[in-house]
Amino acid sequence: MTRYLLGRAAQSVLAVFGVMAIVFVVMRLSGDPTLLLVPEGATREQVDALRAQLGFDRPIPVQFADYLWTLCRLDLGESVVQRLPVWRIVAERIPYTGWLASTALAISVGIGIPVGVATAVWRGTLVERALMPLVLVGQSMPTFWSGILLIMLFGVGLGWLPTSGADEWRSVVMPAIALGGLSMATFARITRTSVMEELGKDYVRAIRAKGVARPVVVLRHVLRNGAIPIVTIAALEIANLLAGAVIVETVFAWPGMGQLAVQSIQARDFMVVQAIVLLVSIAYVLLNFVADILYGAIDPRIRLRGGPR
Amino acid sequence: MRFLRSALAAPGAAAVAPFAVLLLLFALVALLAPWIAPLDPARQSLLARLRPPGTTMGAATFWLGTDELGRDLLSRILHGARASLAVALLSVAVSGTLGTLLGVVAGYRRGWVEVAIMRAVDVMLSIPAILLAIITVAVLGPGFLNLVLVLGFTRWPRYTRVAYAQTLGQAGLPYVTAARLAGARAPRLLLRHVLPNIAAPLVVVATLEFGLMILFEAGLSFLGLGIQPPMASWGSIMSTGRNYVGTAWWIATFPGICLFLLVLSVNICGDHLRDRFDPRAALR
Amino acid sequence: MHRNGIFAGALAVALATAGVAFAQQKDVLSVDLPGQPATLDPHIQWDTDSYHVYRNIFDNLVTRDASGKIVPQVASAWTYRSPTEIEFTIRSDIRFHDGTPLTPEDVVFSVRRITDPAFRSPQLSQFDSIREARVVGPDKVLLVTARPYPVLLAQLVKLSIVPKAHVERVGPEKFNLEPMGSGPYRFASWQRGVRVTLEANDAYWRGKPSIRGVTFQNVADEATRIANLKSGRADVTRAISPDQAQALKSEARLKLLPAATERIGYLFVNAQWGPTADVRVRRAIAHALDRKLIVDALYGGFGTPVDVVLTPANFGYATGIPSYPFDPAKARALIKEAGAEGAEIPFTTSPAYDQRLVQALQQMLQEVGLKVAIRMTDHPTFLKRRQGNPDEAGSISTGLWSCGCQDADGVINPLFRTGSAWAKYSNPRFDALIDAARATIDEKERLAHYADALRILHEDVPGVGMFQYHAIYAARRELQWQPTAGESFHVFDMKWQN
Repeated sequence: MTRYLLGRAAQSVLAVFGVMAIVFVVMRLSGDPTLLLVPEGATREQVDALRAQLGFDRPIPVQFADYLWTLCRLDLGESVVQRLPVWRIVAERIPYTGWLASTALAISVGIGIPVGVATAVWRGTLVERALMPLVLVGQSMPTFWSGILLIMLFGVGLGWLPTSGADEWRSVVMPAIALGGLSMATFARITRTSVMEELGKDYVRAIRAKGVARPVVVLRHVLRNGAIPIVTIAALEIANLLAGAVIVETVFAWPGMGQLAVQSIQARDFMVVQAIVLLVSIAYVLLNFVADILYGAIDPRIRLRGGPR
Repeated sequence: MRFLRSALAAPGAAAVAPFAVLLLLFALVALLAPWIAPLDPARQSLLARLRPPGTTMGAATFWLGTDELGRDLLSRILHGARASLAVALLSVAVSGTLGTLLGVVAGYRRGWVEVAIMRAVDVMLSIPAILLAIITVAVLGPGFLNLVLVLGFTRWPRYTRVAYAQTLGQAGLPYVTAARLAGARAPRLLLRHVLPNIAAPLVVVATLEFGLMILFEAGLSFLGLGIQPPMASWGSIMSTGRNYVGTAWWIATFPGICLFLLVLSVNICGDHLRDRFDPRAALR
Repeated sequence: MHRNGIFAGALAVALATAGVAFAQQKDVLSVDLPGQPATLDPHIQWDTDSYHVYRNIFDNLVTRDASGKIVPQVASAWTYRSPTEIEFTIRSDIRFHDGTPLTPEDVVFSVRRITDPAFRSPQLSQFDSIREARVVGPDKVLLVTARPYPVLLAQLVKLSIVPKAHVERVGPEKFNLEPMGSGPYRFASWQRGVRVTLEANDAYWRGKPSIRGVTFQNVADEATRIANLKSGRADVTRAISPDQAQALKSEARLKLLPAATERIGYLFVNAQWGPTADVRVRRAIAHALDRKLIVDALYGGFGTPVDVVLTPANFGYATGIPSYPFDPAKARALIKEAGAEGAEIPFTTSPAYDQRLVQALQQMLQEVGLKVAIRMTDHPTFLKRRQGNPDEAGSISTGLWSCGCQDADGVINPLFRTGSAWAKYSNPRFDALIDAARATIDEKERLAHYADALRILHEDVPGVGMFQYHAIYAARRELQWQPTAGESFHVFDMKWQN
């Protein structure tokens, strides 16, 4: 097992390095921020001078080596647009993304799992027929559309919730609902499948034959046994939430990392983009790692063969 | 064929049928758009901007109203079906083919080929899809073809994972050993024997990816990176219509409804297929 | 009284109290900006949203009044000692927010700071004509330019004066995070990505500001900015598009504040590559554009059609230059004559430009027989191509140009002079005229040169002037303010009507 873990750790480091290299090269290929920084009337000579000052005229391998060297010194570099250390810029955004993602996760888990259980237990009844459409809607609506509709309805029309920004606790409600919609559907479906599978197993029939009531069966036995796949998916869904946050943060002017990422890519603020990609890919790799371990725990065949890959 | 018949015979097929019909309808509309659209979708009329549904000007009736440049919304939506469906279909085709191929090869060959491919899968899955799409479009530029390429080359790992696991499962089975002993060479073996047996879960993945690709295209168009005007896609129409929700609500609403119905139908049919063929695919 | 951004984030989460929307308190003005300020240090960016914020924290050397005339601010008077030397008299009653007086040393420090190449200021290009700056008296500063530079004063309208002692003591990073100037508002806090808060400086030398505080929020989405205005979260916002402006006209509690700016909406036409290298094709393009329809139908009247690549707000603008009236028949004839029917015209553009205009222009040009292909890329790529070789720049593209100097020198020089990155055109006579206009400080001479230069541009058509851009602000009805052509945002000039 230890050898497997070490091997996966080494592979994860390689994966992150691969991601960094790809993003680095791809971004450099698309130009540099100098033209965006200067006033329109700057001459070619002035632009070239600033470019040289900022170091963007060096060959890409040289820039990459320089970047790796700054990383080794645990320095994330300086933003060329904001002229501040990148760690400071990114660190300010992390609480907001965390707040949004965790609220969205709470909503999607808090609604998704009960819905999934209900549609599995009361399969074929009115309950399922009423709830499944809700799940499907969550899966089928583009987040930016649901976002704007929510703003129009609850923000402008009814005035219950703030139309944008992140000032108060109420600000997170609409973005979290918009973001959590797709995840909620996924959780509901996974839970439903998992519970349905458990309910069909022999031990359930045995317990029911002993006379234990249905709700007890569901809560104490089925959920406990069926939890592993749900937790596995949860790890991956967190990753998806981080990704989906990009659009939601733009629509709701939410000052998180997704919004920072889009703005930095558009401004070619390389250092910030690279730092965000580094953080997110580390998070992804860790979450994938966790999911794989849990997955291996479900299916012994995979574990015995030395891992899912 | 076998596949289709078992899909149709499954319980619950009756409930799914209307959505399957809806899907076929969308496909038909997309194919026949140039012939059934009442007006030229690219024809602007600066004096007929932002008119509500049902407006008639001169000889033309704008059944669903006009957009911010005076173009007929109905015609644009009909043509938009082509773009949205084409992007989704082509990107699924590209990523599905590439992903399946790599997964099957990795599962069959094992060794360093397997390690290399699955590590590549790791790397690809470590980058948030939307960030990768934005960065790639920054280099390649937006547009239909580049969008298909971007989506096609970022989604293949999903197929690879499934194809790999499935191939691993199949490789140990007697029929494979028998075929090999009979002298079948690897490509023939994989194509004619293994592939049909692992097709079902892959089709399930493809169906769900199809719905996701439609949403992705809409999302990328929202960020200005998708289909470019004057070509229309539902996502790009909604992207501009978003600014007019308070005033010219029809621009974003009608394509939104179509988009929603299309993705809904795809998801329902995909669910049905999944329930029928591979209930445990939900766990991956 | 500043809050570190990181703690402010946690604070925002912890504070569950706020239920009162900021806008209810009339004391504090709530402003929604489309982008966040890149920096608040006035010297290290060139960015409208940063300018909107920091201009209230700092005073500039000179400024413009409501009519656009350059008037004193930090400098109370100036005289030309020679065509290359200006002597400024600095006011003695200005204090920075920490109480220290603003002296000529601070002015010289600010000039040197921004012109130092090692400082890497993106604004360097606007001030690099200044060869030397020195204190020449207890209240006098002398600026020396390498050559006579008539636009210097216009550029100095953008130079903010920073406190030398303070900047040297705290260093550039801290000064960027917590700027300190001498302006009507002092910096209070900055939650990056969210909001900047300023408080009134009651010791301000021009008087006590009537609005007691300002917050600037970053709201990228126009629909959300409008929703904020309607719900009362914001009191004033900018960058309203014409279509939304039409809808806002009917809102009882809000009003529109349009301002004709120095921004020129023009169409660049490539004179060195492709079908547009033929001057007849370029003239045909000029005839094919219906400026009045564009302004009336696309911009809802928020715009002024112009015939030259300059606005009336720019020094050097001239009426009476011949123009190309809207005449599609003539355009078709010219294209036929040039043998360019069906010629492919790449139209390069980026999301930074109004795509409705791009598509409307495409249709107008297709109607006279040209085949226009829109090539959309993102903005950095667009800039690279547009400023690259003639064959990369496409045949046409739109532009909304402003030099921030309200002078022709900042517009037609970079756009059309031989050797400029933006120019895909070369005419030595034109070059000579604008070089002469730059070499003298005599205004009458300059106007004459520019009139001749505009005539040459009319003949050669390397660009077609379309309209003067009107910036549209929206605010609560009770806010009294008139935005200016220079697109500045002086909260000091605003007040609440009773």
